[in-house]
Amino acid sequence: MNAAKSKNDDILGGSVKKKKRGASLDVRKARAGWWFVLPFIIGFLILYLPIVFDSIKYSFHEIRILTGGGFKLEWVGLQNYSDALFVDPSFVQTLTTGIRQLIIDIPAIVIFALFVAILLNGKVAGRAAFRAIFFIPVLLTTGLIADIDNANILMDSMESSEIDTGAGTNTVSEIVSVMDVQALFSNMMIGTELVEYVVNLVNNIFNIINRSGVQMLIFLSGLQSISPSIYESCSIDGASGWETFWKITLPMVSPMILVNTVYTVIDSFTSSSNSVMSYISRVYQQANGQVLSSAMSWMYFLIVMLIIAVVAAILSAFVFYQRRD
Amino acid sequence: MNKVESAPKITKETKNSIRVDFERTPLLERLKAKFVNVYFFQKVLVYLFKFLFLLGISYVILFPFYSKIASSFMSPEDFVDVTVSLIPRHPTLSTYKAIIIDNDYFKAFLNTLILSGSCAILQTFVCCLIGYGFAKFKFKGNSLLFLLVVFTMVIPHPTLQLSMFMKFRYFDIGIGKFSIFNFLGGGLMDSVNVIKNPYLNLINSYWPLIILSATGLAFKNGLYIFMLRQFFKGVPDELEESAYLDGSGVFRTFVQIILPLSVPMLITVFMFAFSWQWTDNYYTSVFFTTSGPLLMPKIVKVPKSLNTSYAGENMYVAAIRNTCGILILLPLLILYTFMQRYIIQGIERSGITG
Repeated sequence: MNAAKSKNDDILGGSVKKKKRGASLDVRKARAGWWFVLPFIIGFLILYLPIVFDSIKYSFHEIRILTGGGFKLEWVGLQNYSDALFVDPSFVQTLTTGIRQLIIDIPAIVIFALFVAILLNGKVAGRAAFRAIFFIPVLLTTGLIADIDNANILMDSMESSEIDTGAGTNTVSEIVSVMDVQALFSNMMIGTELVEYVVNLVNNIFNIINRSGVQMLIFLSGLQSISPSIYESCSIDGASGWETFWKITLPMVSPMILVNTVYTVIDSFTSSSNSVMSYISRVYQQANGQVLSSAMSWMYFLIVMLIIAVVAAILSAFVFYQRRD
Repeated sequence: MNKVESAPKITKETKNSIRVDFERTPLLERLKAKFVNVYFFQKVLVYLFKFLFLLGISYVILFPFYSKIASSFMSPEDFVDVTVSLIPRHPTLSTYKAIIIDNDYFKAFLNTLILSGSCAILQTFVCCLIGYGFAKFKFKGNSLLFLLVVFTMVIPHPTLQLSMFMKFRYFDIGIGKFSIFNFLGGGLMDSVNVIKNPYLNLINSYWPLIILSATGLAFKNGLYIFMLRQFFKGVPDELEESAYLDGSGVFRTFVQIILPLSVPMLITVFMFAFSWQWTDNYYTSVFFTTSGPLLMPKIVKVPKSLNTSYAGENMYVAAIRNTCGILILLPLLILYTFMQRYIIQGIERSGITG
């Protein structure tokens, strides 16, 4: 026992052995915790933090690569920021339309992910196959492949029923047209904006599926952790599926809804496929655009943080935690 | 209903067995009672809806793959022929051949395999350590540090693009000139306007990605740390406590008890890390210039030997690019079919609780 204890101390790496012996298990465990997260602390302090500060610094500078090696910085103050806001013709416009689009997309992604996760959690024939298929986009349609897909006219022309001339231009593939749905909803008293919203979602379904993979995964594991005995007692008491969903499933997965919403905000605001991001990276490629782009992205980052704070504050009021420990 | 009348008749069949004749409701009636009612009807409808919905979504997911595969086998004539849409009429392998030979597919494959493999293994291991540290140890600043992990997730990549490039382009090593000191001295350096220190150019090598992976800062590592932290939170403390009682140290417990039972989750994280590094084009575009090693993003181009200038050029070029995409995805798909079982297991056992 003693040998084991001293071995334990050795592992925890202490030079002052006498002091260690008196330390309680909790204190020793706390010390071990530091060892586990050490790689991150080192990386964050000596790598990430300087990179972040450099980025802030560069956004206030003009930068020139010297021919002899090395680079030169010239202090220009807030000029990059004012350039981005007032001189650049389309930055503000891209920012506002991009953010509006993302705010529309985010609830759709979270709701879709929850819906599919519930379906995949229930009993359906071929559940394993469906699960395997649903996780394909998360793993495979990212980065490079997404880039290839974005510039893809071939799939559009294959999906459309119109005959293509071979030039491959201007063939718009829509699963549902606005006209059809408007005809469907015209009798109901729903505003046209809502109709357009629904139509947009249906036409963007591929995009939404692609972006809801990780969320689906988080929801699925959340649903798995709800004890089946709760559902059992519910059905014995005569609750319908609808009631069970609102009274049991939703409160139980509400922490996951918070996590997923924040993740979706982060993921869609930082994904390279959204319009603001691609605009910023286009600016980056321009001559002398590097510092301008970092100024732009810092402004963008502040807006994203603000949105995350608002969303988290609103949602955390509705989150239900089963255990309070 | 008269109970006396419907009492079961008992007849003795053999010495040891009897035969009871119940007066049962006819089969048809029983089936009717079971299947022709609102509840059953509702159940069937819900089930059908579920199944068809999932089927539809699967179609939406799989169709692009099918169309890509179909177009990759088409010969140039098929793209001008309007009657050909999904099934190639003149199937050919020339597109594949041209890409594999002209674009040096196997070289890119090998390079990317080395890079992605080493990065993914490092990331899985390091994120596992960090996630375990966050989940199981209550030390001062635990939640603050975890907030920093989230912070690394929140910052958009382009924000750091320039400074990341600069950090590794002018990477300085040596005592007293570690990056943290360099940053502190940066203010002084500005007056001179030139960085005079000797530096190491890490651009076009694998080191930037390896270093980032080893410190849990690479692509989406915050997410992995989060996932693993939630997973380890679900592992009962009693397991470790009994190991401590038997005299096992913290690290030994981690390696011998915790790691073996988290294999499905580790495979899930490894798959994510590997696939996202494999198809990554953000970091590869930051850290590798045109003179760097041949990686996957560089093989997405029209091979020299294929002549694309004819009426169906746009379609043909798109098909060639898609074929490059298929060739890039092929190894991942094969890996996924083998690992898929573990990924589902990993998800089911993770039990994320917010």
